[in-house]
Amino acid sequence: MDSFSSPSSGSSPKYSAEDLMDQLKVQLAQAYAEEFLETVRGKCFEKCITKPGSSLSGSESSCISRCTERYIEATGIIGRALFNQR
Amino acid sequence: MDPSSVNSPELERFLNQEKQKAMVNEMIGKLTSVCWDKCITGTPGSKFSSSETSCLTNCAQRYMDMSILIMKRLQQ
Repeated sequence: MDSFSSPSSGSSPKYSAEDLMDQLKVQLAQAYAEEFLETVRGKCFEKCITKPGSSLSGSESSCISRCTERYIEATGIIGRALFNQR
Repeated sequence: MDPSSVNSPELERFLNQEKQKAMVNEMIGKLTSVCWDKCITGTPGSKFSSSETSCLTNCAQRYMDMSILIMKRLQQ
């Protein structure tokens, strides 16, 4: 956040518009990725780790990887349903 | 951040674009979550069944229909 603090008034801007946009792009991409990751964690934990054991079983691991793939696929299906039709 | 504080039409355009993208992203994320819970009832397989796929599509589109209906209802 510090990098966004505005330069003291009067002086020329510390960052050009291009610099700011580049920074924002990176930070937005990070924020989107983190949010998505958190959602997938929640959904797949619910689906795959129904009874937490003393370690992650093989079937739980493979469920998690399938779940992750399906969640990404579902996101694509929803996006297309909303914007490619009608 | 106030876009007008940085005097650049280019930046302002960029911020508006990103705002719009954020809204679309949020909507897709929300509907994916809701429709996943509704449509994917079993453990996720290595492929979606055709009924799961069409449930997801229908779910998203009906959610939008519903939103419009509710909005109209509230405006009456």
